[in-house]
Amino acid sequence: MASFKSIIQDVKDEIGNISRKGFDHVKFGYGLRSRSHRVVQDSSVVVDALKQSCWASMPPELLRDVLMRIEKSESTWPPRKNVVACAGVCRNWREIMKEIVKTPEVSGKLTFPISLKQPGPRDSLLQCYIKRNRSNQTYYLYLSLDQALNEDGKFLLAARKLRRPTCTDYIISLNPDDMSKGSSTYIGKLRSNFLGTKFTAFDAQPPSAGSRVMKSRSTRLVNFKQVSPKVPAGNYPAVHISYELNVLGSRGPRRMQCVLDAIPASSIEPGGVAPTQTEFMSSTLDTFPSFSFFRSKSTRVENLESGRPMSAPKDGMLVLKNKSPRWHEQLQCWCLNFHGRVTVASVKNFQLVASPEQGVAGTEHENVILQFGKVGKDVFTMDYQYPISAFQSFAICLSSFDTRIACE
Amino acid sequence: MSSPPSASASSSPPPCPKKMITLRSSDGATFEIEETAALQSKTLENMIHENCASTLIPVPNITGEVLARVVEFCSKHAEAGVDDESLGAWDEEFVAVDHTTLFDYIRAANFLEIPTLLDLGCQTVADMIKGKTPDEIKKTFKITTACTPEEEEEVRGENQWAFE
Repeated sequence: MASFKSIIQDVKDEIGNISRKGFDHVKFGYGLRSRSHRVVQDSSVVVDALKQSCWASMPPELLRDVLMRIEKSESTWPPRKNVVACAGVCRNWREIMKEIVKTPEVSGKLTFPISLKQPGPRDSLLQCYIKRNRSNQTYYLYLSLDQALNEDGKFLLAARKLRRPTCTDYIISLNPDDMSKGSSTYIGKLRSNFLGTKFTAFDAQPPSAGSRVMKSRSTRLVNFKQVSPKVPAGNYPAVHISYELNVLGSRGPRRMQCVLDAIPASSIEPGGVAPTQTEFMSSTLDTFPSFSFFRSKSTRVENLESGRPMSAPKDGMLVLKNKSPRWHEQLQCWCLNFHGRVTVASVKNFQLVASPEQGVAGTEHENVILQFGKVGKDVFTMDYQYPISAFQSFAICLSSFDTRIACE
Repeated sequence: MSSPPSASASSSPPPCPKKMITLRSSDGATFEIEETAALQSKTLENMIHENCASTLIPVPNITGEVLARVVEFCSKHAEAGVDDESLGAWDEEFVAVDHTTLFDYIRAANFLEIPTLLDLGCQTVADMIKGKTPDEIKKTFKITTACTPEEEEEVRGENQWAFE
């Protein structure tokens, strides 16, 4: 039963720190808009104006109902932009929507830009494609919107190649029109060594970045530890990629190895978890947790169990290797089964699987975590899944473009 | 809705009158509603069962204007023999109102626990939101909360990416 008093309280809570004056303005600004000609008794005029005119006083459970409907129905792109739009309306809507939206690992969907930094879905590959624009040395990553290999996708990331005297950099950004490192849309970069045999992908944020409590003014209780002083947007090594010739030299497929600094090898075991960034950190924030773990009621806990730092030596880093193609005697070529997602033979094509445990001789893991391959002159598919993110996958694929090892 | 008269109307007893409940709004207006229609409201259902003797139920935080429409809704939805399509069309008409009124319906449906009306109202609001930018949504719903420059920047970047 919503009494007049509780409605006022609801409105106050919803509006937050808007001044009393501002609130009154809201109340009187609308006037009475009665749809009907029926008489409304004078004594209830003020009450009705308050109750009727202010959407901000919608009970939280109803607002949540409405936002949940939107999240559910706008499940694919481009309509999914409506979910992002709702999260941009005000703090309250944002909090609710961020709580409703699940990570790609759980939902299989990309929603907010931060999804690109989070592990992909478990048990299924997220299908993307990369378009190369040779004229401006830029690569564009898109989410595929349908099964067909046509170029109809949602833009995700762009990478621009910058040649330097001793290395090459690929700057990765959320905004194809703004590829500067100082911009808020800067996500990270890929740097190659002089020979183009080793690459490092750098993340603009550390692996455990993000804590809802720091941005949100919510009074929900959260546990967190302030550990580090102010940390600027930096370069945190995320992936180390290396290319080698195989024993057959340039006549055979090259060998690829990727070491994921922040993802433990245990992540791919049953019950394993991989770090999940939850927010983009603004460099103006004063405190920054680098090794603490955050639990807020509204954040899904995806991080490692509490107490263990991210890259504990005991639990080794995840190492991915490219799956060995098999020699097809009849076709006289090396073959990998790309399940229809790659249609043009190229030395750049690869499938990455988890490397068997060090020291344990065993068969290769079967589960393909990242697959990349050519489908057109400047179009390549990229399919990835847990535990790596779209950003990490994109960086790894970019290295495949750049390396000169065993190129035709 | 009374049953059709039988052939020997003079000798058979008159058809039973439908049980009517009277609702009284916050501003003192009263409305009659068939009990079967009223049962669509879980709140009213509880009140009816708890208070069998009295048939006057006060509904203190819904105005007469809104209550009249809610009664109309429940009555329509309790009607027999209405096909889904025409009911759907009727519902569409019902919610083709200004925001203020729509919000009143939703609040009333929430308080009275009428799932069908709540569903209709919330879905209508959801449909109103779809396709709008954050600024347009703010305007529609007259949301005027303040944001820090960082928050604005973050939202702007996010939406620029989403609408790319």
